[in-house]
Amino acid sequence: MAAPVLPLPQLKLPTAPSPVTPEQRYWKSFKNQKSHTSTASWPISHISFPSVVGAATSNSLVAAAKANDLFAVTSGPRVDVFSIRRREPLKTIGRFDSEAHCGEIRADGRVLVAGEDSGKMQVFDVGGGTRAVILKTWHLHKQPVWVTKWSPSELTTLMSASDDKTVRLWDLPSNVPTRVFTGHSDYVRSGAFMPGGGSNMLVTGSYDETVRIWDARSPGAAVLTFKHADPIEEVLPLPSGTTLLAASGSAISVLDMVAAKPLRLITNHQKTVTALALASHGRRVVSGSLDGHVKVFETAHWNVVASSKYPSPILSLGVITAGATHDDRHLAVGMQSGVLSLRTRLAGAAADKARSRAAEQTAFDAGPSALDKLDAQRAKRKRLAVSSRAMDRLGDTVDAIIPTAPRTAGGGAYKRPKLKPWQRDFREGRYAAALDAVLDTHAPEYQSITALTLVVALRHRSALREALEGRDELTVLPVVRWASKYLADSRYVGVCVDIAFHLLDLYSEFAEGSAELASQFQSLHGKVAREVEKAQMALLTLGMTEALGSGSVE
Amino acid sequence: MGAHTDANGETAALKKRKRTPKDEASPLNKRLRSKSKTTPRKSDIAVNSTLADSTPSRSDDKTALVLKESSGSAKAVVAASQPPRTTWKVSRPMGGRVLDIDPIFSPDERHLILTYNTSVQVYSTADSLLVRRIELPVTNSENGGYITAAVLSRSSTDHIWVASTHGRIWNIDWKTGAGAETPLAINARIVDMTLDVVELKDGKTDILLVLQALDETKAQLVAYNRSALATTTGKVLHTLEGTTGLVRSTAGARFITAATGATIHMGLLRKSFGDTFASLDYRFYSFDAPDLVACLDLQASTRITKKGREELQQVDLVLGGARGAIYLYSDVASKVGEGSGSKAGVIQPRKQHWHRKAVRSVKWSLDGNYLISGGYESVLVLWQLDTGKLSFLPHLSATIENIVISPQGSSYAIHLDDNTVMVISTEEMKPTVYISGIQTVAFEEQRSKDAMVHRVWEPASNISAPLVSAANPVNPSQMFLCVGNGLQASAVGALPSTPQVQVFDISSFQGVAKHAIARTNPTDANITSQGAPIIEPTITKLVFSHDGKWLASVDEWQPPEKDTEIFLTGTKTTEQVRQERREIYLKFWEVGADGDALEFVTRVNEAHHTNRTERIFDLASDPSSARFATIGNDGMVRFWSSKLRRRDGLVATTQDGQQLKVWACSRTISLPTPGQQELTAEPVTQPHRSGAVAFSEDGSLLFAALGERSEAVVAAIDTETGLVRETIFGMYKGEVRGIKSLGSRLIMLSDDLVVYDIVSDEVLYSFSLKESSAAKPLTQLAVNYESRSFAVAAPVPSSRQKSTKKGAKSELVVFSIDDSEPLFAQTFPHLITSLTPALSSPGFVAIDSAAQVWSITEGGDQANMLRPLADLGVEDVENETGAAALDSAMQDGEASDNEMQDGDQDMAMDVDDDDIHQAVVAPQHLAEIFNVAPAFAMPPIEDIFNQVASLFAAKPTRS
Repeated sequence: MAAPVLPLPQLKLPTAPSPVTPEQRYWKSFKNQKSHTSTASWPISHISFPSVVGAATSNSLVAAAKANDLFAVTSGPRVDVFSIRRREPLKTIGRFDSEAHCGEIRADGRVLVAGEDSGKMQVFDVGGGTRAVILKTWHLHKQPVWVTKWSPSELTTLMSASDDKTVRLWDLPSNVPTRVFTGHSDYVRSGAFMPGGGSNMLVTGSYDETVRIWDARSPGAAVLTFKHADPIEEVLPLPSGTTLLAASGSAISVLDMVAAKPLRLITNHQKTVTALALASHGRRVVSGSLDGHVKVFETAHWNVVASSKYPSPILSLGVITAGATHDDRHLAVGMQSGVLSLRTRLAGAAADKARSRAAEQTAFDAGPSALDKLDAQRAKRKRLAVSSRAMDRLGDTVDAIIPTAPRTAGGGAYKRPKLKPWQRDFREGRYAAALDAVLDTHAPEYQSITALTLVVALRHRSALREALEGRDELTVLPVVRWASKYLADSRYVGVCVDIAFHLLDLYSEFAEGSAELASQFQSLHGKVAREVEKAQMALLTLGMTEALGSGSVE
Repeated sequence: MGAHTDANGETAALKKRKRTPKDEASPLNKRLRSKSKTTPRKSDIAVNSTLADSTPSRSDDKTALVLKESSGSAKAVVAASQPPRTTWKVSRPMGGRVLDIDPIFSPDERHLILTYNTSVQVYSTADSLLVRRIELPVTNSENGGYITAAVLSRSSTDHIWVASTHGRIWNIDWKTGAGAETPLAINARIVDMTLDVVELKDGKTDILLVLQALDETKAQLVAYNRSALATTTGKVLHTLEGTTGLVRSTAGARFITAATGATIHMGLLRKSFGDTFASLDYRFYSFDAPDLVACLDLQASTRITKKGREELQQVDLVLGGARGAIYLYSDVASKVGEGSGSKAGVIQPRKQHWHRKAVRSVKWSLDGNYLISGGYESVLVLWQLDTGKLSFLPHLSATIENIVISPQGSSYAIHLDDNTVMVISTEEMKPTVYISGIQTVAFEEQRSKDAMVHRVWEPASNISAPLVSAANPVNPSQMFLCVGNGLQASAVGALPSTPQVQVFDISSFQGVAKHAIARTNPTDANITSQGAPIIEPTITKLVFSHDGKWLASVDEWQPPEKDTEIFLTGTKTTEQVRQERREIYLKFWEVGADGDALEFVTRVNEAHHTNRTERIFDLASDPSSARFATIGNDGMVRFWSSKLRRRDGLVATTQDGQQLKVWACSRTISLPTPGQQELTAEPVTQPHRSGAVAFSEDGSLLFAALGERSEAVVAAIDTETGLVRETIFGMYKGEVRGIKSLGSRLIMLSDDLVVYDIVSDEVLYSFSLKESSAAKPLTQLAVNYESRSFAVAAPVPSSRQKSTKKGAKSELVVFSIDDSEPLFAQTFPHLITSLTPALSSPGFVAIDSAAQVWSITEGGDQANMLRPLADLGVEDVENETGAAALDSAMQDGEASDNEMQDGDQDMAMDVDDDDIHQAVVAPQHLAEIFNVAPAFAMPPIEDIFNQVASLFAAKPTRS
């Protein structure tokens, strides 16, 4: 039957060599950067966020909310406790004699452990008061303690690793370690509990270029050792518990624990990889390196899906989750320069709020009439929402509700696709007006693809000349400008040439009378000349390479 | 391929060929000749008698001899009227194109009678099903006759009167189909005809008012009754200038209007009806309308005089102009007398102008308050006369041709140019009946009403390209036909604009769906501001993958010549400039499970290209895997296969987790050219090339033929490795038009038809085709793997017309792969525009330029094509039960099904009582039998009965 009026479909250009993927778009959506510079610009050495698993063990609502709201950032002799919601430091723990390392908040968000250069390990109370209370101090390591981590399953168990080449397992109440693992022959700078192994399985990476797996249940040395070519800066077990990542120099090795062999070596970074973190529910791995790049890998084939550049070497990073579903919220990156960068991705209600705030701001900038319009729009939407809610409540008392608007087959409200002004102009044959609207490069909704779509559609409808005819100096200039701007783009060159032909045919006689038009035509000419030169060079190169190729065969 | 290959992967033949120096005459041709000389063979081919009423004439240029053996003697094939050796036969044609004649409602509105170009078809309005197809032998293309009018008899509503231009008038009982064989003939060209009933002394009788051409410049309005028809001496009422026109009457023939050109003639009954037919007497007045009349409608009211006689009170006339205006003359009858003599007084019409082009149809509503009109804009316009308010039903699928108001006024029947007729209820404006006919490239019987005025463009009058079609392998009765937005909208360029695919089910004979697979926007204006039509892309190829899950299509578009004049610089020709701006897309579609949804998957912009986009000559699908191959003007063969769509190494998925696929070129093979072998440094020009590809039956080889100038190369390419295994030069003469593989045989169509055995490396037989250059694109080759046969359809050459215009015929010849003697040959009365193998049966399906579908099959095995309900014996029930019975044959069918099922249950019970063995028949088994197809497409009742019987008679399974 009668077909619905559809807007002109947007042209789909052939995929460029590197199109923007959804993944890149996702990671680009971490924006709204907020930077904190640490006191005296101490490098940010560690960012930690309590593991998700233990959060549920706490029965206090307040604590749970708090547990979900804290992350710790270690820089120099300080550990700052930040709020996730407010992205602000809540509390600073500065009771260290020397440089602090690895400030880690326990899963319930109540206590924090950190090591320091002196070899001391201290446990602090996080909640209550601005002054952090030291709950416990161990001083058994004789060298700087670089790793202190809480067990993900038991609240009282923690591990430590130190430059004294030992790895220790601790019980919070006891003064001596429950187990001391020896075997590394150099500084141990990274370590973690293995997921799925309770508090028994540990993994550590050391400057002796090995990654060792320790089992508290088996006596003696490491149960598994992976030797690398470079010192190990960071280890990261994946949630599956069978795969392990180790940053060794500028490479990241993927180790299979079951087969006890390396799966892959990722060599995307140029300098030493210093930080690894999980993201997107364990389906992505984020790495940071001294080359200032943060790269995101997918975990099936370890391809880079997104990357971004930071101004300073990266020492630490963390992907901080929030909400009931633990979606990625902040991308926290700590740099050598002492800057902590927090980039935030808003989702759901927060995103809506941000959008409405942005709309308000633009309306405010535009003037009072725009503000009034926005208010009217909002009031209308609110009224609609109220009335539809009222209709919903009616459901109990009436048998059937007859919708006033026609419904689609699916039962949803029938929504007629709304044509934009230029689409309406195009449909109704006001081609020049439509062209003017889409070629306006200063318009906020300007998109070059829209312009191309319309020009190609005009060509299909034999209406390109009609759209270009009958213009005066003011209206012809944007078209000339547009054509010369996009002439160099291979996807646009066809329509630009057509437009230029028509323009020259129609308006070249007026160029004498208008200096502006003459100069635009001049610049168009120059652009064409440059393109021709480029094409000739390309052909020349092609000829030379062909000659080389045929020579090599003989 | 079965040839023995040595370690180098070359056959002996290839080596031999490579060693063979190239002489003046190709070695192959020599061998071909010597072979055909040595082979004892009858040089005559049995050609069946031609169809329909076109008598086969034996003169040299008119015979249906397409094929001529290319033996040395070159003896022409003689058409012999001997009976066919095999059991190949042609079914009766189905379908056709609805003519520009008002559809007829039966008085009870239960049936709709449509006039097709070759038949009259009766549809049920309850379920849009074909009840009866009454074939009319008017397709005499020799004198160009066609049906020009069809009207329902008023005295006996079971009858219709049908008139054709070559002076034949049928009185057909549409409830039985009687009368189609016995036309009455008058010796004049009938321009138009209408009918009214008058009450004479001897009862009510039909008076036919026939506008017939008198000579080249004059026409006569003649009245006939039944006896006058028998003697062909009607009563001449009036003589008019002009030989085209319309005639309508109203109020029991008290008022007659005839229009020729822009002149309106009105005839008023001089006094009341006399006693006899001979005493009919009219007084005629004429006046000039402001525009050429494209259509007209009358509305009259009568009153009863004191004497109890009926008298004309008021007549309102509405004219649709050829330039788009509608003229409204109210109460013309009272004003005509004001003039002097036969000239009527000046009558000022009310002018309403909305239509851009000719008003194709304008009708009064029953109450006279509204006008309903339609035209090229495909918008149904409702004019409220009192207020001047317009309301629209916009964006119908094609140009509106005819509008008819139902007898009760509750619905409109609308005939659209895309061969559909629908009935729209006036209350909701929703269709209640939808008859979607086959859409093809077809010849129009009449000139379109738009052509009454000179336009800036002329629609193409010849068919220059075949109808691109493909049968769905999953559902072989579904034909995918490449069509445009109506016939007139597609006949605008050199090639037809066919951006759409119509899914047409030949078993139910209904259009199932329509998909736009190339750029089109039916809701946008279809002409430019200069009045030129907007040319849409042409689909040139359409091929299914072997499993029917994928569909590949090729579409082409280039800007019209007028647009490109501005770009001419230097020595460039218009053609070059257009080709630089050509758009050729290779597209891949995923076919939905039920075949009526197409999902766009991949578009390849420049599948074949040099420094510009090049044409894709042919597209073939691998019979063993989902893979396609193309050959293009760049001399390359490309293989296309699907792969998972990856994004950063990750498999891209849809929202619901389904993996997305993408089609990409998997291999490119450059074909060797004859020039390359001889190593002659020829200047690089743009040769006129042609090409074709075909996969071998097992998919292991791809045969690619590429013609360059007069010489062609055929290469056998290993589809696994992509190596060219064998190359044959000089196999083709002229343009390559098709290549097919059947077993070890290769069938090649160019200026010759050559059957070549690749194993024994010899030409088994060949024929040269006798055809004009215009007919070449329409010669088609199809292979049926099931019957191991192939068919060639080619236009019959005619000395009178060079191009394939209306009246051209086609011959179809079926060959067995082993025998050079055709199994079957027949001339068809129309041009065959599409020839496809019937996938489920050993036959072929041909579609002709009259939009008819023919099934050519071996033995009694008919392709599953619809027959009208009447043929299925359902109709009789309806006739017997009469008006009080169930409404439709469909319901009858269902009712009888129910009865049968009840009966089955009883039977089962009886068997239970007998306790001999229990026939346990699960309901789903019965459902399987009865639900195979909708009632109208069911197998014969006998078969169903047998199936049911076998179900119950089956031996019980022992547990």
